[in-house]
Amino acid sequence: MAEAGLQAAIGDIPAVRGVFITAMPDCLLYDMWMRPNEAWGAEDTATYFGDLIRANRSALKSLGSWSSEMQVTIESSDLLIILKEINEHFVVGVLFGVQTPLGMVRLNVKKLVQRIAPILPSLNVEDRPRVVRALEFLERYAPDPHAVMMRVSLQTGIPQDQIQNAEALSAEDAEAIEEAVKNILGLDHLSI
Amino acid sequence: MNTWLPKVSTTYPRLSMDFLGEAPVVYHCHHFNLYLDQTIDDALGPDEGLALRTRAARGAAYQLLSSVYARLGALSTSEKLEIAHELFQAMGQGRLELLGDKHGGIAHGEYLHYGFVWREKYGTTVRRTHPADAVAAGYAAGALAAIYDLPANAFDVTETRCYAQRAERCRFTLEPAESPGPLLGVAGRGPIIETTSTGLPGGRREERILTIEAGLREHLAGVRPDERGLVQAFGVFVTRHMANYYNRLAFDALSHVKARAPRVQPMLEGLLRESGHVCVFHTFGGILNSPEWEGLVGRPSSDTCDVIDGSVAIARALGFGRWTIEECDPGKRFSMRAPATYESAYYRALSQPSTHPVSYFMQGAAMAIMQLANAVDWSGEVRLDHDFYLSLFKKGVPWKVEQTRCTAMGDPFDEVVVTAL
Repeated sequence: MAEAGLQAAIGDIPAVRGVFITAMPDCLLYDMWMRPNEAWGAEDTATYFGDLIRANRSALKSLGSWSSEMQVTIESSDLLIILKEINEHFVVGVLFGVQTPLGMVRLNVKKLVQRIAPILPSLNVEDRPRVVRALEFLERYAPDPHAVMMRVSLQTGIPQDQIQNAEALSAEDAEAIEEAVKNILGLDHLSI
Repeated sequence: MNTWLPKVSTTYPRLSMDFLGEAPVVYHCHHFNLYLDQTIDDALGPDEGLALRTRAARGAAYQLLSSVYARLGALSTSEKLEIAHELFQAMGQGRLELLGDKHGGIAHGEYLHYGFVWREKYGTTVRRTHPADAVAAGYAAGALAAIYDLPANAFDVTETRCYAQRAERCRFTLEPAESPGPLLGVAGRGPIIETTSTGLPGGRREERILTIEAGLREHLAGVRPDERGLVQAFGVFVTRHMANYYNRLAFDALSHVKARAPRVQPMLEGLLRESGHVCVFHTFGGILNSPEWEGLVGRPSSDTCDVIDGSVAIARALGFGRWTIEECDPGKRFSMRAPATYESAYYRALSQPSTHPVSYFMQGAAMAIMQLANAVDWSGEVRLDHDFYLSLFKKGVPWKVEQTRCTAMGDPFDEVVVTAL
């Protein structure tokens, strides 16, 4: 989406400090807008928003309470953030100042999504191999990401140069890597 | 202070090595302790890793305590038990209460170093699936065997509750070993001293380094555990630890990987090196950045050699060996030598020559010293936190390290060289 398109969509909506659009299922930044005085790391933020939506979706499904209308509201010390699925391919994160009334925020997010949805492209998402997404997930959440690929290599016995080309790994090796990722993060399953 | 502790402590100034009883000991921080344990589990898997860590701690603790008891002369069983409790705490390992006899028993742990610091460092981001306190477990088993003059491997021990796994406090059960298994090798003071040369000529700026080392050793002699049995200083939790524990882990993990997955031996070596890197960056950096250092030496200057001198002195004071500066070309090249490191001395003392260099801690340390000297701006406020540490890798590490000599391979000294890429 051209920046002008997103900026135009935001248009007269007050109190918005930033908008991040995340392409799913890979949780990659698709587009963003932020006020000139903000200095957020756009790619990381978009990725974490995607992960949050996915985790929230899994949690609600396990409670039997999921619907495509769900949204996530986060209140931090200075921000009020709404995360919402626009369609199966895109998630939007809208950031307001924490003082903004919640009712107004919900109304404005609804308005913004209505404006953004028609101008987003229809994607033929080519899913990357699950093992690649597992490794990316690990790099995002491992406590010591700088050395975590060495740990995966040591745990699995698969040399690091092969892990760097994870698309080419056999199914058995891919499974071993996913086990290592779960082990390192202490998770029973990966929401990716 | 425990009145008996000085009687069992020995320092060899020409080697910068320390012993309690016959056991070599070094100071190490929680970053190193956690990282090394984690690396062992990565190499062996969580079950075998835990088993090795427990056995290694049991053997090292048995050597430590039986030699301490021998040094102190006639002791009753209750006196031996009290010494075991006090020594554990004096080493900054937390509080361990051992209740048992020659048939086994139980132990309770509070503020155990490993479990406590794991939860502090990783508890909010990772769920732990295996207990963390192999050192306390092994110590309890080794202590009970030493107290009752039984073989080192007389007891099996299991941590049944662990603080790192959200238990309120830790609990261990000790039972007579069903199949005791082999006794793991431990290196003693005599063989280490006998096989380590004292003839290495001094390196650069020795006079200054010796002065700093002496001042630091005096300061460290006054460091005491707090009421939790932990030592929290310079931004890290510090233990005075059994070098045989560390050495046995690295030795067995390398043997295991060489036999089962030789293709990933470089990964294991890289992670062992990283254990040293993360340790030295945080601990040495914390000391250099402390008010105590400012009082003792003065604020580090922007001269890289200033930080390198200080780091080498810190290494000596912590018992890592008599590291000396061979070359120091700021930003380009830095090399250190030592008559032995606590790692290479282990191989020599056990007559286990190596075909490859084994001083992984010194290798990682040399890289970290280069980082502290070149990547940190000491002229302003210095924040050596985890985010800053990770940022060094995002930018790319502009140096490489190589161990060019190793006494475990038959060389007359250990040498590591860091060069710019």
